Amino acid sequence: MANPSLTRNTQGSFSTWEARLPLMITYVFLIIGAVVMIMPFVWMVSTSVKPDREIFGDMIRWIPTELDLQNYSDAFEQTNMPRIFANTIVVTAVAVASQVLLGSMAGYAFARLRFRGKMLIFFALLTTMMVPFEVLIIPVFLLIKFFPLAGGNDMLGQGGTGLINTLGGVMFPNFVSVFGVFLFRQFYLGFPKEIEEAAIVDGCSRIGVYWRILIPNSKPVMGTMALFAFLWSWNDFLWPLVVVKEDSLKTIQLGLSVFDQEQGTAWAELMAASVMAVVPVIILYIFLQRFLVSGGITSGIKG
Amino acid sequence: MSLAVSEGAAARAANQDWRDRLYRFYNSQAFVAFLFLLVPVLLLAALKIWPVFYNLYLSFTRYELFEPPRFVGLKNYKYVFTNKTAFQSIINTLLFTIEAVPIGTALALIIAKLLDQSIRGRVFLRTLYYLPVVSSVVVSAMIWRWIYSPQHGLLNYFLGLVGIPPQHWLNDPNLALISLVIVTIWGSIGSNMVIFLAGLQDIPRDIIEAARVDGANAVQSFLQITVPLMRPVILFVVVTFTISIFRNFGLIFMLTQGGPFNRTNTMVWEVYQNVFGYLRLGRGAAISVVMLVIVLILTLISFRVLRERQGA
Repeated sequence: MANPSLTRNTQGSFSTWEARLPLMITYVFLIIGAVVMIMPFVWMVSTSVKPDREIFGDMIRWIPTELDLQNYSDAFEQTNMPRIFANTIVVTAVAVASQVLLGSMAGYAFARLRFRGKMLIFFALLTTMMVPFEVLIIPVFLLIKFFPLAGGNDMLGQGGTGLINTLGGVMFPNFVSVFGVFLFRQFYLGFPKEIEEAAIVDGCSRIGVYWRILIPNSKPVMGTMALFAFLWSWNDFLWPLVVVKEDSLKTIQLGLSVFDQEQGTAWAELMAASVMAVVPVIILYIFLQRFLVSGGITSGIKG
Repeated sequence: MSLAVSEGAAARAANQDWRDRLYRFYNSQAFVAFLFLLVPVLLLAALKIWPVFYNLYLSFTRYELFEPPRFVGLKNYKYVFTNKTAFQSIINTLLFTIEAVPIGTALALIIAKLLDQSIRGRVFLRTLYYLPVVSSVVVSAMIWRWIYSPQHGLLNYFLGLVGIPPQHWLNDPNLALISLVIVTIWGSIGSNMVIFLAGLQDIPRDIIEAARVDGANAVQSFLQITVPLMRPVILFVVVTFTISIFRNFGLIFMLTQGGPFNRTNTMVWEVYQNVFGYLRLGRGAAISVVMLVIVLILTLISFRVLRERQGA
């Protein structure tokens, strides 16, 4: 990430010991901090590849004397991991695709089109950004439970279980995010209008402008949106916990959360399962973190 | 014959006119806006706007899912503020906030300030600090439960090295909340740091430079220039951090389930317990409303301070 302002902030001459001292202190502090931050992850990986006798030994061993990958295959078998991963991937893929598409459509409408009630709708949505999902869990749960014509429900949503215990129910609150609408709106507001105007003069329709000019040029903002949507959906816990009852519909976080209760304190398997849950996220984060940081700056809000 | 030709031309013209009008309608700003906003706005209305009002309505009713909600006036609110467990959840949420937010915010600001230099390994260090943020609450909670484990946990091992006896971190009424606070600070430094890094970009370098020329050392310039100039950003972080603590359900579910002796029973846990444990939806709704009101007040305060700042 090229950052012009960084080059201005040089420490000047490093020739004297006094000039180096602040830098040394900076490094010592930052490295100790970083070690504390990643130590839990290192400990997780270390535990996950250890035989039990080293886990419960008197000495703490960071690097096990022998690699024991049995824990991974145990964890894999005991939790129906392929099914859990498949569920999580489906739920996450739908959330990402839907939030990118709907966010970009709504963002375009708010950034470029004039229509009656625009400010009213816009501020209504802006206000909802202040309301955390956890506060609305009861009505949203009822909406899913009494969803018309689903899960044995009639037109009025009575008689059945609705979208409870379905992957559709898990996905439903994640189809669109207000954050996404604002992210795309900001992006399109900064997009040069001249290109679109030229296309309209040449006879292109508005939808054509959106589809042929804005969409192909939205890759950075789509990357940010996709990464956020991925993280929210993959890491979501409360909502799947509330909606899903059956083992065959569990997502990775849910599968992990009950793992421990079933296995007592099988720490090695538990850490192996945790590694499997977090590795896809960390890989994606490392490759796409430029999107996340730029999005984090405009939003500043996690979750 | 000439009449027939002109009739055909008129029909063609009318047809053309009709198509033009259709295209103009199809290409009108209002129609495109309707088309593009219909699905997102309907979904958000159903998921974000209607629930606020329905939740408020439910908070005045007794509702146990099998019979329709029955109006009970302010009974649920009376319960929230007089029942020992429910009221304790409000106190616990505030305690959690007071213990986590000042330290967590200060650490994130200091780390951001130190990282905001052209030092080697800057990006790598930033990535490491951010890792706990991308890891899910469930994974974080699992790792920390293992670290806090009384018999073979890493933390007790380290304390043993300096002669402190092993503690039952998550089961000790005096330590449970602090244990959750530690995990929360660890998990939030990264996201707060990113916001501070963005804010630090906006501080003019010449001001810091001028202070150094005038003989201020790094600590003085941090306390007397960076912190005052960052006030709006600090406030923003304090508010968003506080809200994230109000929302913090996963940690409590995974680590303490509200215990021991209700010491970690926060509002979001109390809502979950009432609704999905005891099926008292009305009571749960009343606690949610109290939560929402606190969150909204905090948000409005932050908006006001930010606006004053911009006006100045």
